[in-house]
Amino acid sequence: MKPHPAIQAVSLVTIAVFSAGVAYSQEQPAVQAKIAATAGKTKPAAAAGKIRRTPDGHPDLSGMWTFGIDLPHGDLKKVVNGKVTTSHYDQTARHHASDDVPGALPWDKTPSYKPEYQENVKNLAANESKVDPVFYCDKPGTPRIGSPRKIIQLPKETIFLYEDISGDTFRIIPTDGRPHRANANPSAYGDAIGHWEKDTFVVETTNFVDDTWFGENGYMHSDKMRVIERLWLTPDGNLAYQATVEDPVVLTKPWTNFARVIPPNNDPIEESPACKEDDGHRLQNLDHHLQR
Amino acid sequence: MKNRIFTVLLGMGILVPAASLIAHHSPSAIFDMKNKVSLKGTVTKVDWVNPHIVVYMDAKTDDGKVENWKFESNPPRWFTKVGVNRADFAAAIGQTVTVEFVKAVDGSKYGYLQKIAFPNGNLIALEDSSVKDEIRP
Repeated sequence: MKPHPAIQAVSLVTIAVFSAGVAYSQEQPAVQAKIAATAGKTKPAAAAGKIRRTPDGHPDLSGMWTFGIDLPHGDLKKVVNGKVTTSHYDQTARHHASDDVPGALPWDKTPSYKPEYQENVKNLAANESKVDPVFYCDKPGTPRIGSPRKIIQLPKETIFLYEDISGDTFRIIPTDGRPHRANANPSAYGDAIGHWEKDTFVVETTNFVDDTWFGENGYMHSDKMRVIERLWLTPDGNLAYQATVEDPVVLTKPWTNFARVIPPNNDPIEESPACKEDDGHRLQNLDHHLQR
Repeated sequence: MKNRIFTVLLGMGILVPAASLIAHHSPSAIFDMKNKVSLKGTVTKVDWVNPHIVVYMDAKTDDGKVENWKFESNPPRWFTKVGVNRADFAAAIGQTVTVEFVKAVDGSKYGYLQKIAFPNGNLIALEDSSVKDEIRP
């Protein structure tokens, strides 16, 4: 099965220069106290070495977790009636924080594409600000949307809720042993089933459309993509999230991204405002940056 | 320059990297990042939309002609996370405020809003990060 024609067509676009902004960035933990007033963080529920569990004995992933999409990393200065405040939003949950996340699989910096797709991916990446579906408010899909904002873990299914500028979506993940739906339509977030491997919740998702990217930098895929997401609790009560992408059509081998460590966060989930990107026609060059 | 746009003095510092993220294009793909300007006018509308909020403002030129300006800024989620809601911007509707922004390279009356100063002294401003952001592979 070939990737989406629109994605293939972009391979003809001239390669341009990457901006420095494509590199991952991360903020210092020291700023976390500063933004505590708006971050709404909760105290980790588990003492070191002990994690919450449901009555059936599995780790309890339920709860609200930090928003996982890149946002601007500057400060906001506000003056109200003479009172000056400066705020900074911590995004460490989004980025690679450490190679030493307990329980994480080994990861690779980039996916390994088959030779016939490498030029295409390179061109997509170089022209990202013009061709990335996410830039134009389309769905990021699985696993690019990242970790869920809220998890509701029930005996027979687990529900993921997300906040995303393309629309606040959900995934309902059966855990009662049923197979994938036979007649589901392909979608950006796919058809998921879940199971436990010891204390790790493993979500296997298939049945994708082929017009999303599974990551930054032009990571296109076919509709044969299969995504394995692993979620587990760290001893200090954070959520760990790591995704592996398999695509026998375009990749030479499965690609596992780095593990993210996501603190709890009780900020209310708000409906995302409509997404109306109107800047495409104004672009003067290909400067771009990481978003998700 | 006929309208009341003033180039902000260099002492204000170089452009705010706060404006350099989200929405996937960098502001430098659209805006003249080295040319930060200031403009006084009346805010007419605030659109709390992704991926950038949009603020509309009418500003008079020296000869009395009203120009309609449109500014984008950081995404709603970012503003919410740092404690600014739509109401904070909407408070400017109908008021004469001073904004600072960088202009679109294409010459249109379009800019990336970085500061809005209210007549009562209140202020909302994007600033350089006080935190050193690490670059990760």
